[in-house]
Amino acid sequence: MADLAETGIKTEVKTSRSIAASVFYGATRQATAAIIVPALGLLFWEVSVAAGWFSGRLMPPPSRVLATLWTLLKSGELFNHIGITTARVFFGFVLGTVTATIAGAVTGYFGLARRLIDPSLQALRSIPSIAWVPLFILWFGIFEASKVALIAVGVFFPVYLGVSGAILSVDRKIVEVGRIFRLSGFTLVRRVMMPAVFPAYVIALRSGLGLGWMFVVAAEFMGASEGLGYLLVDGQQLGKPDQIMAAIITFAIIGKVTDSLLMAAAAPFLTWQDSYRREG
Amino acid sequence: MLTLRNLGKTYANDVRALEGFSLTVAPGEIVAVIGGSGCGKSTLLRLISGLDNASRGSVELNGDVVRQPHPLINLIFQEPRLLPWLTVANNVGFGLAEIEGEDRRQQIELALKKVGLADLAQRWPKELSGGQAQRVAIARALVTQPEVLLLDEPFSALDAFTRADLQDHLLGIWDETRPTLLLVTHDIDEALVLADRVIVMRPWPGRILDEIKVDLPRKRDRTSAAFETVKRQLFKALDTSLQLS
Repeated sequence: MADLAETGIKTEVKTSRSIAASVFYGATRQATAAIIVPALGLLFWEVSVAAGWFSGRLMPPPSRVLATLWTLLKSGELFNHIGITTARVFFGFVLGTVTATIAGAVTGYFGLARRLIDPSLQALRSIPSIAWVPLFILWFGIFEASKVALIAVGVFFPVYLGVSGAILSVDRKIVEVGRIFRLSGFTLVRRVMMPAVFPAYVIALRSGLGLGWMFVVAAEFMGASEGLGYLLVDGQQLGKPDQIMAAIITFAIIGKVTDSLLMAAAAPFLTWQDSYRREG
Repeated sequence: MLTLRNLGKTYANDVRALEGFSLTVAPGEIVAVIGGSGCGKSTLLRLISGLDNASRGSVELNGDVVRQPHPLINLIFQEPRLLPWLTVANNVGFGLAEIEGEDRRQQIELALKKVGLADLAQRWPKELSGGQAQRVAIARALVTQPEVLLLDEPFSALDAFTRADLQDHLLGIWDETRPTLLLVTHDIDEALVLADRVIVMRPWPGRILDEIKVDLPRKRDRTSAAFETVKRQLFKALDTSLQLS
């Protein structure tokens, strides 16, 4: 009997290990598969420009884009642009998030406020945000204020929708537990509603941040002398596609980095989540 | 002393869920309320716990009229309803907001010991089995030392083994401090194993049909002849209730 049990355990260990291994190799294989096509494309472009089949004037090969990126980096110019753009996104994001969180919390919690305010906000939401640009320039001038305002508008709506939707969908059953323990008003909000909406709030912040990076480009298109958006416009006006691509790559990297930072900041508060990807 | 006077509830959609329900439960008594769906069993507990307000009649605990959740009345739901963002220990301590530090820790530990889960204090709810989660829910209700504990089909989502185990466990806990237990169930054996009295309900609207005394010493033998006799009596009453629905 003991032998049987032992062999049983051994096989179990073996299978779970081989499952883990196959999952790992599966993931690696998938990542490799995903890289093949773009890598071959870049390689082809590099080779064909080097061989003189194409001039690469409008579409510079990867090596030239990297060289431009390196030059910008070395001169410190790139950091300056990144700093300016990040600061704009930061202030726009904070402004948009704070107002959206308050508005979302109020309309999600109070039925009367929802009936009064939500329809107007939904109507404003259907306006393409770029359409605000001329008005914002008239109101706030062409410098920082109008840019931050535009970014804030872009951040506002996804965060607002996320917050008010999350509050509306808090499980009645869990709220009842709070009520049984005689929590009400702000205590109920703090101890039950806020933790319950937190996961959805993080997702709302992430989509808000994504839109923030989108809108900073639009904002910097409307007249900036610094920033990554300025690099784009400058590259277009002076015919420097390598500079445009360098700026695009930088956008991709810092967009991803800020999103990861946001997730990393939220992760310690979400270990309790019983989701498919976190199991175990 | 828990007194229910002529309780009635009509919901906003004009459904009469409960009508003319009067009952007095002595301190330390265990009463089971049994009946099919539509008998207003859950409504009854929602009214006593103060989650909902009665349309007619009143709930009184020791002479105080109960209109909202009362510090001495706690409700255990059909599902554990643990707060997923709190550890087991903090779930148990959820009702101890005003108590802090060492005192709080001790009370939580004591409540967890009572349900036999002291070593799971630092786990997350997602890591518990169904039976463990329901035990944590019981500990959470016990920690505030309620005088009346309401249970809404508390073991119905569990398998037969876990259910029998938790019924014994509940009796053990009850025996220590003797709170009043008012238990809603649709499980005949559960009612007979636990209760001093079984109230049989009839539906549309929910009313009291019959009351059956279970005068057997605990812990009760489910296979004894006396148990069988009361069980037959209860079956007969439930049959009448069923024919009325």
